[in-house]
Amino acid sequence: MAKLKMMLVDDEERFLQTTSKLLMKKGYDTVTALSGKEALEKLKSHNINVVILDVKMPGMDGNATLLEIKKLYPMVEVIMLTGHATVESAVHGLQSGATDYLMKPADIEDIIEKTENAFAKIQKLEEKIHSAQMKKFMKSPREILKNSEN
Amino acid sequence: MLKKEHYIKIKKIIFISMILVPAIPFISALSIGYYYFTTSLEDSTISSLERIVGDHGHMIDAFLNERKSNIEFILHSYELDTLTDNRMLQNIFKKLKQEFPAFIDLGIFNKDGIHIAYHGPYELIGKDYGDKEWFKEVMEKEQYISDIFLGYRKTPHFIIALKKNDKKNPWVIRATIDTFMFNKLVKEVRIGKTGEAYIINKDGILQTEPRSGGILMEKPEDNSKYLKPHTGINILNQDKKYVYATTWLKNNNWMLIARQEKSDAFKAVNKASKLIIYISITWGICIIFAVFLITERIIRLLKNMDMEKEQLNQQLIGASRLAELGEMAAGFAHEINNPLQIIQSEQSLMELNLSELIETEQLKCSEFIDELKDSIKQIKLQIFRCSKITQQILKFGRQSEPEKKEIDLKVFIPEIIEMISKKAFVHGIEIKQNIALNITPVYGDTSQLQQVLLNLFNNAIDAILERHGTSGGKLIVKSELKNNKDIEINISDNGIGINPENLEKIFSPFFTTKSVGKGTGLGLSVCYGIINNMGGKMEVNSQVNIGTTFSISFPVYT
Repeated sequence: MAKLKMMLVDDEERFLQTTSKLLMKKGYDTVTALSGKEALEKLKSHNINVVILDVKMPGMDGNATLLEIKKLYPMVEVIMLTGHATVESAVHGLQSGATDYLMKPADIEDIIEKTENAFAKIQKLEEKIHSAQMKKFMKSPREILKNSEN
Repeated sequence: MLKKEHYIKIKKIIFISMILVPAIPFISALSIGYYYFTTSLEDSTISSLERIVGDHGHMIDAFLNERKSNIEFILHSYELDTLTDNRMLQNIFKKLKQEFPAFIDLGIFNKDGIHIAYHGPYELIGKDYGDKEWFKEVMEKEQYISDIFLGYRKTPHFIIALKKNDKKNPWVIRATIDTFMFNKLVKEVRIGKTGEAYIINKDGILQTEPRSGGILMEKPEDNSKYLKPHTGINILNQDKKYVYATTWLKNNNWMLIARQEKSDAFKAVNKASKLIIYISITWGICIIFAVFLITERIIRLLKNMDMEKEQLNQQLIGASRLAELGEMAAGFAHEINNPLQIIQSEQSLMELNLSELIETEQLKCSEFIDELKDSIKQIKLQIFRCSKITQQILKFGRQSEPEKKEIDLKVFIPEIIEMISKKAFVHGIEIKQNIALNITPVYGDTSQLQQVLLNLFNNAIDAILERHGTSGGKLIVKSELKNNKDIEINISDNGIGINPENLEKIFSPFFTTKSVGKGTGLGLSVCYGIINNMGGKMEVNSQVNIGTTFSISFPVYT
């Protein structure tokens, strides 16, 4: 089973530094990105499960990034991080596939809790997929061979 | 609200300037007109007096000279012998009378003054005139024209006497002339109603009768003011009653005077002045009345305008300014949240590091460490407080469109009251509700109206607690249809009340009387904005230590 790996996306560098340090100390593998573009870049090379995404960013904003992530990596869960004024866009985010949202200033414990929840959701989903596949394999073991050929 | 004195001041300024501005040119025009009119009238009066005095003066001088020439002619044409012949004298006198009918008699005197020949109505022959003034003078100066006198005859007359300078035997011829004609000539002068002419001698004695009265040979009382030596025609205008024109006649022995009463001369002026005064007064009253009305009207308009401005200002606070403020506050709060987020993270990191240091015994527990822990905890608390404030501000600035629908207050209000009834019960507050059955629904966002009512109820409960503690509180909720056009909701409490100073600012954003951290001062301004958006009005009435009533009214929704 995959290990929880999260990515923080925000345009505030100091926030990224400190929060990732904190998360590391708490034992979470954390990647940071300063923009939506960088986030998409890093998703390619890292096996990331949960993204914590600031809604309001210069350039590619949170919602645009969210759509892109969901398109490219449907299994990655996204938590929107919002200042209250953008709660509408957070709701919008939820409608376009984000799993949850956090209100600034978010407590580290909240971040961890929501991340864990999101990760649990992924795990559940993966488990379902896994068991579904298992059933399928049970029916025709050939599929395994086919699959491994791919 | 502008003060009453302010309006009174404006009123005064308008009133005075509206009267003065037209009055100044009006009065100037009248004055100038009056001045020129008076002057020209005076000039024409004076010139007519001058003309009369001049003409008549010449006439009188000519008359005297003619009479003198008549006598001179006799003097030079006849010898004494002829003249002393009574029959001859009678003939000569006849001719003289043909020439001029006012001759009364004609007489001849010898050098001692004895009347040696006479023709006339009296018996004068033989009378001695040797010691008479006139005789002495004629003997000396060869001619004499007397003043007018009554003499023996008791009729006004004057004499002309001439001396024949015969070296051996000088004699004197004398004629008496009735002044009736002469008097008539002067008396007939007529200027206006009171204009007249008369003659006085150099002692001021009347030589002709003035038309206005005055007896011949007597002195008019006031002659001293014009009886002065001068040449030509003199005008005297200083007197109060008359204008005089004078000229000396008969070698400065007589003075011809023409005069006119000023009131008569300037009758037209007086008439005009009266008319002017009458017009001025009428006009003035009309103007003052009109100005008064106009001023009243201006002030009323001004007051209305000020009042409208005031109302508009208040509405602006309620509507657009509130929206702008909300937007600004929201942006501001959002910007604050970002650094708050960083501080939050930093604080967590500090806390974590500190506890690690303690756990790994790199730092020993001490008072300082405890203080540090306390400070870090305090930072967390304050961040939390900040975030609560920014959240409230953001809520205030929220711009989501309300979902409007009909709300039936008959159901809605009791529901809200139900929500707070427990809290009220706990604090010993009695709630009375009086919802009229005929109220029609209002149109608005349910959750917004709920927010307003809850806010007002909670405020009321706070105010009651502050005054009564947990017993004796009363909260009355009343709703009724007013004048068939407004739906009113009144929420009254018997709480602590609001002082007038705070009452003015009660709907202003960020205004609060609650202690630090307990309120943001946004509640009522949000309520105000919501009610305004619903097309309603919100008002407050309060008396300290009696209670407060918030009134919301909506126009009947159709």
